[in-house]
Amino acid sequence: MRIDRSLPVWIGAALALAFLMALPLGWLAWVSVSREGGGTTLAHYRAVLGDPALSKALWNTLVLAFWVGLVSIAIGAPLAWLTARTDLPGKGLLRALVMASFVTPPFLGAFAWVMLAGPNAGLLNTLWRAWTGAERGLVNIFTMPGLVFVVAIYTFPYVYIMIANTLALIASDLEEAAAIHGAGRLTVALTVTFPMVLPAVVSGFILAVLQALALFGSPAILALPAGFHTITTQIWSFFQYPPKVEQAAAFSLPLLLATALLLLVQKRLLGRRGYAAVGGKGGQRRTIPLGLWRWPALAACLLVMACAIFLPYGILAKAAFSRAWAQPLTWSNTTLANFTFTFFEYGATRAAIVNTLELGLLTASVGAVLVALLAYVSNRRLILGHQVVSFLALAPIVIPGVVLAVALFIAYTRPPFVLYGTLAILFVAYLTKEMPTGYAQSDATFRGIPPDLEDAGRILGAGRLRILRDVTAPLARSGIIAAWCFIFIGVIRELSASIILFTPNTKVMSVVIFDLKEEGQFGAIAVLGLVMLALTFATVAVMQGLLGRDVLGARE
Amino acid sequence: MPGVTLKDLSKRYGDVGAVNGLSLTVEPGELVALLGPSGCGKTTTLRLVAGFLTPEAGEIWVGDRCLSSATSVVAPERRRMAMIFQSYALWPHMTVAHNVAYGLRFKRGLARADREHRVREMLRVVQLAGYEARYPGELSGGQQQRVAVARALVVEPEILLLDEPLSNLDANLREEMRFEIRRLHEAFAITTLYVTHDQAEAMVISDRIAVLDHGRVAQVGTADEVFLRPRTRFVAEFIGRTNLVEGVAESADTLVHGPLRLRVGGGLAPGARAAVSIRPHDIGLAPAGGARASAGHNALAGTIKRASFLGESVDYQVELPGGLTLRVAAPAGRRLLVGAAVELTIDPAVCVPVGEEPR
Repeated sequence: MRIDRSLPVWIGAALALAFLMALPLGWLAWVSVSREGGGTTLAHYRAVLGDPALSKALWNTLVLAFWVGLVSIAIGAPLAWLTARTDLPGKGLLRALVMASFVTPPFLGAFAWVMLAGPNAGLLNTLWRAWTGAERGLVNIFTMPGLVFVVAIYTFPYVYIMIANTLALIASDLEEAAAIHGAGRLTVALTVTFPMVLPAVVSGFILAVLQALALFGSPAILALPAGFHTITTQIWSFFQYPPKVEQAAAFSLPLLLATALLLLVQKRLLGRRGYAAVGGKGGQRRTIPLGLWRWPALAACLLVMACAIFLPYGILAKAAFSRAWAQPLTWSNTTLANFTFTFFEYGATRAAIVNTLELGLLTASVGAVLVALLAYVSNRRLILGHQVVSFLALAPIVIPGVVLAVALFIAYTRPPFVLYGTLAILFVAYLTKEMPTGYAQSDATFRGIPPDLEDAGRILGAGRLRILRDVTAPLARSGIIAAWCFIFIGVIRELSASIILFTPNTKVMSVVIFDLKEEGQFGAIAVLGLVMLALTFATVAVMQGLLGRDVLGARE
Repeated sequence: MPGVTLKDLSKRYGDVGAVNGLSLTVEPGELVALLGPSGCGKTTTLRLVAGFLTPEAGEIWVGDRCLSSATSVVAPERRRMAMIFQSYALWPHMTVAHNVAYGLRFKRGLARADREHRVREMLRVVQLAGYEARYPGELSGGQQQRVAVARALVVEPEILLLDEPLSNLDANLREEMRFEIRRLHEAFAITTLYVTHDQAEAMVISDRIAVLDHGRVAQVGTADEVFLRPRTRFVAEFIGRTNLVEGVAESADTLVHGPLRLRVGGGLAPGARAAVSIRPHDIGLAPAGGARASAGHNALAGTIKRASFLGESVDYQVELPGGLTLRVAAPAGRRLLVGAAVELTIDPAVCVPVGEEPR
């Protein structure tokens, strides 16, 4: 038997993947039970689980995640239904705005809301006091409800996507079949539509909860000043001097298990969703007329978008161009000084922008090639254990960024691989973290290329690598570039892993923004934030052009 | 021009055996149809021959080359075969001309001018001259099909494989393409394996039909043979409609079913349980007392239970004493009513003993 010359390529890609995953997680588990001077111990677990302050952080995280899940459904579900099924005006615009909320870095939103609803200087509170003459402000963002609100307005797109995609699969004739059998409108909604959408609602809830569990930026910005911790901020504080790595590891594993468990539940739910798609082909989806309710419904949608997009983006723009962000934007208050300060005076910025772009380009390029190879291997079942490949590539989705950073910190601060203090460790972190998103995109791409197209070439005399070049690569190209864009967007906004892994020479934009917060430099934060948003939206535009559809459809 | 020999091929998917010890010989230049219901292993067999799958046991020979065995498999690209897929598998990013020319890139010593000439010539043969610069997405289903045919034939393969190539076409076009494929086969005489689940298609196109059941060849023969002399119950029921009468063999040519004694063409094992197949249109039908059975023919009295007018014929269900019901296809000329007493006449020669299917 002649050995397939392409085999080493596939096996190499699979090994690279296993290495990326296995080494850090292995170290994480080991350090969490290792005793100083050898042997194993459960002391670290006892320490973290016995500490009431840590238990409080744990509880806070659960409260946060649960409420974020609920609020995300309250926002995402009606919005999905309205844009998918009704004659609501401006549906295209609303979808675009949901997408904007989806790609907005949550910590930027949190900064913006500090400027909008901080108890003293927050714009909304100043306006409220000016209008009503009240002593106290209207809202205080530095509270648990405030945190839930700010997290939820950037998390509801997960629920929205799940439900909108499901509604798109349910043909109206399923509902009409119930109607013809005598069910009234409400009965149809309760007995047909709702049960079919329910798995999507629950799984959207779980995704939202997962996001909230793993988030570092917003809690760090809003919860720490309010005087409470979540798991992620707590793990981060373990790394403040003197670092307590073992406790961080022991505190990380429960979070990891929780996310893994939640995703397992979600997968089960979706696995049974198959019936929603039955007969989806050719079914018409008729729009439901809202009548006069169109306008209040639109107003409600726009109010949500005002909270997620208009107000935050507005205040960021204002802060970027004004001397004092809390003062009205008059001519004398307008300046470009924030830009000159950010780009030319503040030491860390330019290096950070260069680092971010370098890491973004490198991670996206290596990542796109790697996920393309891996998705190809598992789709075409090229090697034994291709299911493992697929599992490993998607596995990092359960690893919160902070936990990943702890694991990488442990794995790469000691021989044989000392990467700490270099950009390489950030590269590895980003590559691992963005792998599932890129992989899902690539997987969908290759699933869309029937194997017949390759077989047809092989039987005519072309080898596998030749077919890859002549047939597969041209057909997969736009899908692979889209995966590149997904990874790039993910990298330039990454904060939760960077905040633990950076060193003074390897700062990235998100870390600098975080530093600027400590110094109260809101103008510079706004400038960097705008740069980040501009990069993000430029990438999204490229991707939409390539895919010929909007980005939301691709994320399942 | 070599033939193809499949020896005891087996291929399993998990616990399910898709192909179970299948043996078949295709003579040089012959077109054999692999016919069977879905899940009978016909497509798996074809993909084994193409080299996309590795058999767990058995061998595939083309001429004197062993292409597949459990230990060594020649890659598809070195098998000198061509294949036409159910989906056509045309490359959407290449023009018609590029699609057709692709296989010629791997023919050594073929000048560019030769290549272009052969592509043009082949497109003329499949009546697509002038479509060179189109993309597959710009063609109708029938035209796409012709491109797929041209792409497979232009390389002058030793073996041609077709996997349900007509199943995506509408009924009229399908019938037209059957004759077209048969015409091309007669023109090029390439050894061909043709997978289909459509018996009419198999009968029109092939020299011989291999009826597949549970990953084995249940019977292989010409269309006449498998239709007129089905060897197993499965073949009898799958090819055309039939009546199966079960009973005990009294002698080599008599089957007893309750009160009925049926004379058959012979070949029964005396004393054993047996079954015979009788085609509905082989049964003579007349009002009671009106039949004139030839000497030696079975004559059976019965009652019409149901009559369905089918246009060219009428489909009757006739109940015999003892409860056995036979379906009879009679010309539509004279109609008999439900409840009428009738007499059936059956030539023993059309009562074909069928065995149990192999398991």
